[in-house]
Amino acid sequence: MTAVSQSLGRAPARPGTRAPRSSALRRFVRRRELLLVIITVAVFLITDAVNSGFGTGGYISFMLADAMPLAILAVGQTIVCLVRGIDLSVAGVLGMVAVSTGFLAQDHGASVWLMLPLALGMGIGLGVINGLFVVFARIPPIIVTLGTLIVYQGVQELICASRAVETLPPMYAKLGNDNFLPDIPYMLVPGVLVTVVVALILWRTAWGRSLYAVGSNAEAAFRAGIRVKWVLISAYTVCGMLAGLGGLAFLVHYDSADSQSGLSTSINLSSIAAALIGGTLLTGGKGGVVGSFIAALFLEVTIQAVIVLGVPQVWDQAAVGTLLLAAILVNRYQASGRSLSQALAGPLRSRWQPGHGGAQ
Amino acid sequence: MATWARWGTVSVAVEKQARPRSERRFGTDRRWVFSLVFILVVELLFFNFAVSSFWGGGWGSSVSMLGDGENFLFTSMIALGVMFVIFAGDIDLSVGAMSGFAGVMMAEFHLGGMNIWVAVVLAVAIAALIGLIQGLIITYFKLESLLVTLAGWFILQSAALAWEGAVPPYGFPKHFDSLLGTGTVAGTVPNQLVIFAILALLATLIVHRTRFGRQLVLVGHNRDAAGYAGVRVSVTRIRAFVLSATFAGIAGMCIAATYSTADDNLGPTLLLPAITAVVLGGVDIFGGAGLVPGVIVASFILGWLTPGLLQDGVSDTWASIAIGVLLLGSLTVKGITDRRQGVSMLDRLRARSATATPGAPPPAPDAT
Amino acid sequence: MTLTARRPKSHGALEASLDDAAQRPAVRYEARHITKAFGGALALSDVSVAFEPGEIHTLCGENGAGKSTLLKVMAGIHQPDDGEIVLGGETLHALTPRSAQLRGIYLVPQEPTLMANLSALENLFVGILPRGRLRFTVDWKQMERSAGEFFSQVGLEIDPREPASTLSIAQQQLLECARALAHRCNIIFFDEPTSPLTAREADVLFAVMRQLRERQFTLGFISHRLDEVLEISDRITVLRDSRLVTEMTAAGASRDAIVSAMVGHDIAQRQRPHREISTQPTVLELRGLSHPPEFSDVSFTVGRGEVVGLAGLVGSGRTEIAEAIFGLRPSQGTVLLDGKPFAHRSPHRSVVAGLIYLPEDRGHNGVFANVQLTRNITAAVIPKLQRAGPLLLPAEEREMAERAAERTRVVAPSLEAPMSSLSGGNQQRAMFSRWLLAQPRVAIFDEPTRGVDVGAKEDIYKIIDEISASGIAVLMISSELEELVFVCDRVIAIYEGRPVAEVVGDEITLERLGTLIVGEQAK
Repeated sequence: MTAVSQSLGRAPARPGTRAPRSSALRRFVRRRELLLVIITVAVFLITDAVNSGFGTGGYISFMLADAMPLAILAVGQTIVCLVRGIDLSVAGVLGMVAVSTGFLAQDHGASVWLMLPLALGMGIGLGVINGLFVVFARIPPIIVTLGTLIVYQGVQELICASRAVETLPPMYAKLGNDNFLPDIPYMLVPGVLVTVVVALILWRTAWGRSLYAVGSNAEAAFRAGIRVKWVLISAYTVCGMLAGLGGLAFLVHYDSADSQSGLSTSINLSSIAAALIGGTLLTGGKGGVVGSFIAALFLEVTIQAVIVLGVPQVWDQAAVGTLLLAAILVNRYQASGRSLSQALAGPLRSRWQPGHGGAQ
Repeated sequence: MATWARWGTVSVAVEKQARPRSERRFGTDRRWVFSLVFILVVELLFFNFAVSSFWGGGWGSSVSMLGDGENFLFTSMIALGVMFVIFAGDIDLSVGAMSGFAGVMMAEFHLGGMNIWVAVVLAVAIAALIGLIQGLIITYFKLESLLVTLAGWFILQSAALAWEGAVPPYGFPKHFDSLLGTGTVAGTVPNQLVIFAILALLATLIVHRTRFGRQLVLVGHNRDAAGYAGVRVSVTRIRAFVLSATFAGIAGMCIAATYSTADDNLGPTLLLPAITAVVLGGVDIFGGAGLVPGVIVASFILGWLTPGLLQDGVSDTWASIAIGVLLLGSLTVKGITDRRQGVSMLDRLRARSATATPGAPPPAPDAT
Repeated sequence: MTLTARRPKSHGALEASLDDAAQRPAVRYEARHITKAFGGALALSDVSVAFEPGEIHTLCGENGAGKSTLLKVMAGIHQPDDGEIVLGGETLHALTPRSAQLRGIYLVPQEPTLMANLSALENLFVGILPRGRLRFTVDWKQMERSAGEFFSQVGLEIDPREPASTLSIAQQQLLECARALAHRCNIIFFDEPTSPLTAREADVLFAVMRQLRERQFTLGFISHRLDEVLEISDRITVLRDSRLVTEMTAAGASRDAIVSAMVGHDIAQRQRPHREISTQPTVLELRGLSHPPEFSDVSFTVGRGEVVGLAGLVGSGRTEIAEAIFGLRPSQGTVLLDGKPFAHRSPHRSVVAGLIYLPEDRGHNGVFANVQLTRNITAAVIPKLQRAGPLLLPAEEREMAERAAERTRVVAPSLEAPMSSLSGGNQQRAMFSRWLLAQPRVAIFDEPTRGVDVGAKEDIYKIIDEISASGIAVLMISSELEELVFVCDRVIAIYEGRPVAEVVGDEITLERLGTLIVGEQAK
């Protein structure tokens, strides 16, 4: 052994090829999560300084509760993004689950706890369909989930049949909007629980690591013995399951649901936006759910701040869009290893570079 | 070059040997269009028998099949536009919102006192400009088109909402509503069909018969190789985004004319059917392959499916589900018949059969 | 081995494989009568090779001879059409990469297939992540503990938590070796591992390989550098045109014997034709072209009708120089065309200016695989295609493509056939016809004979000859020194991004170039 390492020790590495060592602190500071927390807090404090109503406990707990359906969806979306996928159907799953559980609750007074396994089960079923199409029909995920979105939304409308969920047992509104501790809404529990559990799964389980492996290099993952098809299907399944949970959270929080739930609010695309703002790359293999969760809160705070500051509410979509653009710009240049200012200074130096090929 | 002349003596080496396998790729594109035409004919025949009122009181009457065009032809126009972008290997999610925004722009210009036609031209031009900006952002910063146009969708939708204020603008001159909207040529052919036919012909010629179209397809097929061949990849992609936005703007004018009001919330309603039409039409979602006539036929299949089913007594919802199922089903079928990796499939089948009979002796070396 | 002692209480897959490996016996691994075709093109025909434990067995052959395919078949990546694979007397059926690794067979691929976003640590163990007590959890602590052993066995000194994308190619190769060890594989194949490495980096790899040989591993190796083949091999098998030509022991092997077996005729027959050295007006001139660290201070000229070669190892910067001239990469310094500075270069502007570049990676950067031959040929001259108004005229385009295809003697089923249905040689001929249509003044050919069969090679030399005879200045890059000797009027040797020497005319010999490209001055 010694002979080998000595000879490598003598061999000078080519300039710039040695792996830079970085301290744990540096690595932590570079993390997207920290950046997001700082920005979110800054937005919050600035808005509060302008309009003191923003910092009241009631408003905070409202925002926390209001962000949770999106946060749960964003966690699911992140899982799919990690394997280089995308799921446009989460809004369809959310809507379908919200109305079906909603009608059961409205018509039969079923309790939330009974609805929970139903919501998760429906989500799993709908997610599996996505996964099967992606893997076995080999249709690109964006098209598959576009198609299933159309179908799921159609089914949602069928279930509604021109009715709407309006009167739910009081338990629903309580869980959806009340606090169990001062300023801490019940809604926060499922959101945080899901995020923490999924974060642990992603970091600590073989399945979680195989998501990263497949997203980073599917061919290499296959050669390393990872069952790529199974990993892909399971990613879409878990995303569907979380979308189902998000549907129940949606129902509970808004205390109503109709044929347009999920469609009319832009929760579908906001979930993608949250995942990307949270630092997950659409190109797979990099990112995490904690960032997505914080990004969901960040989007919520920003939108509410826009409203509180007197900008017409119609601009909230534009705010999400602008933040999304900013996030992908930052992602792009973190991935390329250059600083943003460098990147902005001269991406045109070579207008077109090899290696960013389209379809093969 | 003069010196090439001496190479002229080399005998013709392009052999005309029969090798049907090699023609497969282009064969499948054409076959797909033929299957689409067949599906369209079956669809029309089915509704002809299933729905007595389908053909209406004759060509041009308000309930006729042709008259139904006004319910979907603007979607077809958007499909034609987004098709350019998909050909180039990108995607444009902002087209639906772009139509709405263009409509609102035009309406506000007009209600602000501008001549209606000046307003129309200006609105379409601004839409094209926004497409240009999106294309520039995507190519300059090397960002995924999916995300940039998603952000564009959000921003355009907000802008449209903010601009129109509380009430969507309405009330355009009669001749505008008639010419771009509900009017007909000689009482039979809807004006929109004529507009669509012109756009469709234009799109077909652009993609299949111009230098830009050739570059578009090559860029979509293999962006790197196109760059190495001296094709200006970024310019080509940007042009596709401009075309997409322009077509969306024109569609926005037709929508405003048809309903005599500008609708801001068209993003999801128009985008999904438009992309469905493109993909169902056989254009490879990864770019570089497909035929424009396929998209045209597919947009009619989808367009007439909804009213046909509606008049058949099926609800609107079922019709939209049918579109989703059609999209997934047809792509699954297409994927199976047109799988490019024939060899690896064969390998996999071999491997599978070998696993099934682990004890089976390997084939003799000289079996083949 | 102290590994097990360090991990007192762990369970799971890694543990099992560790124990297996402790007793995993040295084993003979054999391919018998393997035949493999890809879409009708024969890659292996009745090839039998046996790899013995404690031996480094090298496969030699020109590009496309079937070396890589054989190793891939034996590693479970391709399924053979015919023949059998025998591991220590047991015939293996339906081998997959996974089942091959479980049996101790590992292929270090030509280009490392690491997961760029994941840490070096995780790349080491992917597929056999050590599990915790609960079976489905990952034991990161144990991973970090045991990684050090594997890294030090291959002499890697890296921060295991940094993503693999920050490693150099050489480090990635060593990481692949470490991964083979972590997977407890004792049959390891190296598919051209040294081609992207410098001589020193390759020496490190060889030290690792020798050490594994001591430990009675069964080792397979592919290389194009005959010096290192002779240096490290115990046994050499030569393949040519998908067939096995000969097998020899290192003791009985010589450079000439290997080369003549590889090319199929005596090397002496391929003597360099004597050419007049004439001074022609300069067409292309580089002045201090630099883009560190890839290349720096590159200056040379190419005259009208001259063929200038760029010799250098893969990774020496020769392709980067060519791409910088063509405008694919940024660079400092000046490029002059006909004495006039050519600034703001881009591929488009280069083509318009009459400077063309035939890329080295034909599959990714050259052909449009599923597009018709016609359109592949006319791809570089789209702005010049004949039109009626704005519309292209397909008949004229077809005729133009046909004439161009005739000039380079493309053999194709039809002009409408997709490029992918052509053989490698004909694809390359079509690429030449594409570039000739552009009527260049300067042509850069990067590895023009890569992935081309032997017969087509000679033809491509002839085409290059004709091109230069017609007055076009040619800059040619090749890894095969023989063809530089054969074709070029002048050769510039590049070592680690700098031109180190210029050799003219009859001074261009294999020996001279061979020493120059590895950084040694010829005596």
